[in-house]
Amino acid sequence: MSWVIKAFSSSIGKKLLLAISGLALCGFLVAHLAGNLLLYVGPEVYNKYADALHAQKILLPIAEVGLLGLFVIHLANALRTNRENREARPVGYEVRQSKQPPSAFLKPASSVMYGTGIVVLLFLLLHLSDFRFELRNPAVAELTPFNKAQVLLRDPLTAIVYIIGSCSLGYHVSHGVQSAFQTLGVNHPKYNWLIGTVSKAFGLLVALGFGSFPLWAWAFHS
Amino acid sequence: MSDGSMSLTLKIWRQADASSQGDFRVYKVHGISPDQSFLEMLDVLNEQLIQQGEEPVAFDHDCREGICGMCSLMINGQAHGPERTTTTCQLHMRHFRSGDTIVIEPWRAKAFPVLRDLVVDRSAFDRIISKGGYVSVNTGNAPDGNAILIPKENADKAFEAATCIGCGACVAACKNASAMLFVSAKVSQMAMLPQGQPERTMRVQSMVAQMDAEGFGGCTNTNECEAACPVGISVENIARLNREYLRAVTVGRS
Repeated sequence: MSWVIKAFSSSIGKKLLLAISGLALCGFLVAHLAGNLLLYVGPEVYNKYADALHAQKILLPIAEVGLLGLFVIHLANALRTNRENREARPVGYEVRQSKQPPSAFLKPASSVMYGTGIVVLLFLLLHLSDFRFELRNPAVAELTPFNKAQVLLRDPLTAIVYIIGSCSLGYHVSHGVQSAFQTLGVNHPKYNWLIGTVSKAFGLLVALGFGSFPLWAWAFHS
Repeated sequence: MSDGSMSLTLKIWRQADASSQGDFRVYKVHGISPDQSFLEMLDVLNEQLIQQGEEPVAFDHDCREGICGMCSLMINGQAHGPERTTTTCQLHMRHFRSGDTIVIEPWRAKAFPVLRDLVVDRSAFDRIISKGGYVSVNTGNAPDGNAILIPKENADKAFEAATCIGCGACVAACKNASAMLFVSAKVSQMAMLPQGQPERTMRVQSMVAQMDAEGFGGCTNTNECEAACPVGISVENIARLNREYLRAVTVGRS
């Protein structure tokens, strides 16, 4: 097994771990968003889905541990590579200019992955403490899943924080997906446009999709 | 300025040697022709400094034809200046305007220590090459040129990668001071040719290990390197390097 450790300890190896764990976490985002979109179908359907999910006494804990594992791998390698990347330039430049066409946003997603990642991490911790552990508002434990989502999300401050979190996540994955393919060596003029388009569209879907739930709770259920 | 000559303010990094603290100094130059190259403009400055009894500014240069890879310089925050696919020696003063202030800095990377003023030590690249950026051949008569058939497309791609002049602009422009574009070009040019096959698995692993040992950062796929590269090496090569690495560690025997 020493070859595995050696292979994944190099700079490219760490990027491979980031890419694989990141893509797997994107798979979770798809499932999570699909489930959440049932909120728009109606309380009966959403409650039925949520109850069925929580009734999985064996599969659910396995999935949770798996997700935690993926997240730890992603986070640990992000922290390690970020530290090494900073150390690689101890003295910075006085002036810095890109030769690439300017990004539509303030900074291109690729150059703020660590920043958006930290925002996503904080958002995730808040989100888990709200919905998974019910720490901020223990009273929601008595509600149906549909009403729980409503009550938690319609608080204006929570809604704003969740929208910021969702947009950061969307911006993060808009680069993350295409970067993961590049790291895995999937790059060809035949389909590069497709990877780029899918990656940006996925980022937009994540930002709009997850960001829409607090807006919905805020606008229609407060 | 009726003769079209330019006056410039130059803010240049000065550092006596590797162990000294450096700082920026501001100089004025006059009578610069728009047809002069950037290095010729620095020559004018140095003549001026010598006449004043000051130390001239040290900067790397050799062929001044854009092929040797010796010139460097971060010019107003851009490796090799504002023009794309242009080395500093091929950059002309017509791309600046009289009255401009130009900030000139050395490449910045832990693996490229500053030796003096604008000169950095790029021998980290040589050490990476020495770990596998070559093919071993038997001595004797030169083999027949067409004895080994190579698909045109592979030959073209290998040649494109081989145009890398090893100047280090990719490292300088990368926010992580990563040498991935350089290493990917050097791995790619061999990986696509039959002559590179015997050492293919060893090559990528050794060169990546040396790249890491030199203290270069990792790749975060921002593509700044490709935009800064004076010969236009594509990040397609970085994907190929990643593939070569994955192949070597999974199915390689050495």
